[in-house]
Amino acid sequence: MSRLRRDPRMERAAHRIAGTPRPRFDLAAASAATSAATSAAPGRLRRDPRGEERLALVPGTPRRRLDRTQRVALAPAGAVPAAAMAETAPRLVVIAEPAYLVAVVPDAPGGRLTPHDRQVIGAARLLADAGGGAVLALVEMPGEDLAAAGVDRVLGLPVAGYDPEAKAALLHAVLDGLDIRHALLPESADGADLARRLAALTGEALFAGAESLTAKAITRAAQGRRIEQRRAPPRLITLAADASAPHGGAPHEAIPVVFALPTLAPGAILSAEFVPADPASVGLDEADFVVSAGNGVHDFTAFRALVAALNATPGASRMVCDAGLMPRAAQVGASGTVLDARCYFALGIAGAPQHLQGVARCEHVVAVNTDLHAAMIERAGLAIVADAQKVMPALIDALTGAGAAEAQP
Amino acid sequence: MKIAILFSAGRHAASGRPAPVPVELQAIRLARELIGQAAGDAAGDAAGDLSGDAPGVITGFHAGPDAGPLKDALGHGLSRLVQLSIGAQDDPLPSLAAALGAERFDLVLAGRSGQGGEDAGLLPYALARALGLPIVADACALAAGPQPGTLSLEQALPRGARRRLILRLPALITVHPAAPAPLPFAFAAMRRGMLETREGVPAPRAAGEVEERAYRARPKLIAKSAAGASATERLKAATEAASSGGRLLVDPSPEDAAREILAHLRQIGVLRH
Repeated sequence: MSRLRRDPRMERAAHRIAGTPRPRFDLAAASAATSAATSAAPGRLRRDPRGEERLALVPGTPRRRLDRTQRVALAPAGAVPAAAMAETAPRLVVIAEPAYLVAVVPDAPGGRLTPHDRQVIGAARLLADAGGGAVLALVEMPGEDLAAAGVDRVLGLPVAGYDPEAKAALLHAVLDGLDIRHALLPESADGADLARRLAALTGEALFAGAESLTAKAITRAAQGRRIEQRRAPPRLITLAADASAPHGGAPHEAIPVVFALPTLAPGAILSAEFVPADPASVGLDEADFVVSAGNGVHDFTAFRALVAALNATPGASRMVCDAGLMPRAAQVGASGTVLDARCYFALGIAGAPQHLQGVARCEHVVAVNTDLHAAMIERAGLAIVADAQKVMPALIDALTGAGAAEAQP
Repeated sequence: MKIAILFSAGRHAASGRPAPVPVELQAIRLARELIGQAAGDAAGDAAGDLSGDAPGVITGFHAGPDAGPLKDALGHGLSRLVQLSIGAQDDPLPSLAAALGAERFDLVLAGRSGQGGEDAGLLPYALARALGLPIVADACALAAGPQPGTLSLEQALPRGARRRLILRLPALITVHPAAPAPLPFAFAAMRRGMLETREGVPAPRAAGEVEERAYRARPKLIAKSAAGASATERLKAATEAASSGGRLLVDPSPEDAAREILAHLRQIGVLRH
């Protein structure tokens, strides 16, 4: 209980005037002192419901809204935050003298970071910021998105073709040569392979598939997901997907580092050839590029021809699948398939919230729709307000025309 | 061609009872079909139940206290299983390295990551290093290579893509779940198969600084909105990705629209030609 128990004898004793032979109590004078004492005492304070409500009021909304959780620091409305934003936005974080390095080896197919790579860099940022370190990215092809992802230093790994053994040997040389406290890799197909090669080369323990990471502790599942292992972050770590947030702050400088890499003999792999997935046979959840038809598409022969010409996987909205114009397996959205595609091309789809949930993880969205105010137009990176029925034949013409023009010379 | 397959003490995904790991059963099928090809037998069915004079032998290896449910692997087309008897907490690496080093195998197949121990998938790599073999991960199809002593394999990549590799043997290869399904179980084949028990190399693991507790599923990260934001804003954060300043064209001619779309698709690297 927060309310204090009263002790009347003690209260009376507090009123007693000292230095008199007979006990005398000055209740009038002491009452002011006791009232001051009670108001300052840690007993129950009087609530001010109106004041609390005023604090919880969210400013800047047309309807009166209260945020009783108070988890967001309430920013004073006005021009002050805008000025602060303008001041902070272009600033670059510079770590001139890092205490140590946290190495990251992103997959970065074609020099572009994947979302998983960004999460790994975010985790490395966390480990580096805990002790004044810097994040070093070891990439085959340095791209321009590394600075925004939160990388301080970049080192290129010259590996010709697919040769994970050589890449692991180069990484081993870098880990030996530089002051690297942690090395983080994504637990993806290539990253997982590379991390295990590196662990076998160095003989160090690998903390594989970490599911949560802080500067003090890191966890992973073991024994068929029945046991959780937990320890302080070791040197070699691979991070599972969606385990850490990507770096959301100001960009870092991403300056190149000079390091003398050793030259290596060729390995046992004699040749490697990339075979792209057949988009017609690959499942919608695995597809890389999805072209989807909605209620604005009537000519499904042209739609299928367009999908084939674009070398994409066909998808559809719920309306089209309900009408039986496309198979149910092609439905995109909350009750269909949640896509993991790189690009989503929506033809004649307005974008119901349930449909947009299915597209949430797509990196690029292109939309063609007649309604300027459709949610899909707002979501798209390239939005075209036009009739999808008319755009489809033009696209097929442009694609086949481009193909014919390429074939002629 | 002599092929070895590594087996781990797996658990059934749903019931949690001891069971063989499906990927390792898929490896049996890959090995049998490879031997069948080498023998000029397209079906590859007759190649498994054979004795010494046949073109190939498949041997399974398991290091652990008990073969237990791994006898099922014999029913899925394995002809011989060798159990290297070690303690439950021992490191299987020295036992396996000694057993595989004693016989010369052309090809060693393993699952993508074993089960029952750390589940880190590190053992095939450490074993390849101990045996001095090259290692390739995530194979989903095997075939004889163009030259003798080489192997052509397909590596499964995310999103249904494949990588075709030609590799010099001997090698250690881990198998991906995208490989063809295991051969159906046959009780008589299980009875016929040989199970051999040998003494392994006892190798107690050093106690690490790892603390173990019961597993607790953690929530995956979702798109975050400001805490305490309204329901509409949270839905928006869940449905909208970070938009990179979208471009809007209102009522262009269909040809202009097509040109813009194709240029955009080429720029983001989705359209190759």
